[in-house]
Amino acid sequence: MIAAVWLRAPARARLHALRELYRRFFGENTPDARGRRLLAEWLTPAQRAQFEQHRYFDVVGCDTGRTYRIHYGTAANVHEIDVEGHATMGWCFVPSGFLVPGDVMLAQKIALETDEKGALALANRFPPATHSEHFYRRPF
Amino acid sequence: MATQIVMDQTGDTRHEFDPGNAEALARAERRFRELTGAGFTAALRTGPGEVTRIRSFDPTAQETLFYPRLVGG
Repeated sequence: MIAAVWLRAPARARLHALRELYRRFFGENTPDARGRRLLAEWLTPAQRAQFEQHRYFDVVGCDTGRTYRIHYGTAANVHEIDVEGHATMGWCFVPSGFLVPGDVMLAQKIALETDEKGALALANRFPPATHSEHFYRRPF
Repeated sequence: MATQIVMDQTGDTRHEFDPGNAEALARAERRFRELTGAGFTAALRTGPGEVTRIRSFDPTAQETLFYPRLVGG
C-alpha cells in the first residue's frame, strides 16, 4: 500500500519526503545533535536561554567567582569576562579525544563550576582578541 | 532506571540499569571504577543545571555523566 502510494507520488514529492526523512533521522541522531541535546539537558534554564540566543553561555567559577563565557566550539572557546561582558583572557582546555562541541562545552562547564582551579591549572592561556565572534561556527 | 552517560565520539553512550537489581548495580559500579580509573570525571546533576563531581560510586544516583580527562588545548 505504502509502496503503491510512494510510486504514484511525483518525483519531486518523493525527493522532498526523502530529504525530510534524512533530516529528521540523521539530523537528530548525529553525534553533533546528540552532544547539543546532552548539553541542553545539563544547562541551567538561564544558560540554555543564553546559548539558544547567542551560541554561548556564561558560567561562574566555583573557586574565584569569576565569570567565563563558553562559546560553541571545541578549542579556544572559553573566555574569562569582566562585569561588562568583555573578554579579558582566553583559556584553552578540552576533554581528551575527539568529542563534539556540545560535549566539550559541557565538560568545560562542569570543570569550571566544580574544579575551577584544576581546570585553569592545565589550561593554556591566550589573548582574548585572537578570535572574533565570527570564529565560532554556527551550531545549527 | 538509572543511567550512566559516557561522552564519546558518537556524542554519548548511555548505560541504563535497575538500581534494585544487585547484579546490575555491581556492573554499574564496576563501570564507574573502570572509567574513573581511566581518567574520566564523574558528575551528577543536583538540580536544573547544577552539577557536582563525585569520586566514588553513588548507588542512588539517577544520572551520572562521565567525560574524558581534560588537557590543555
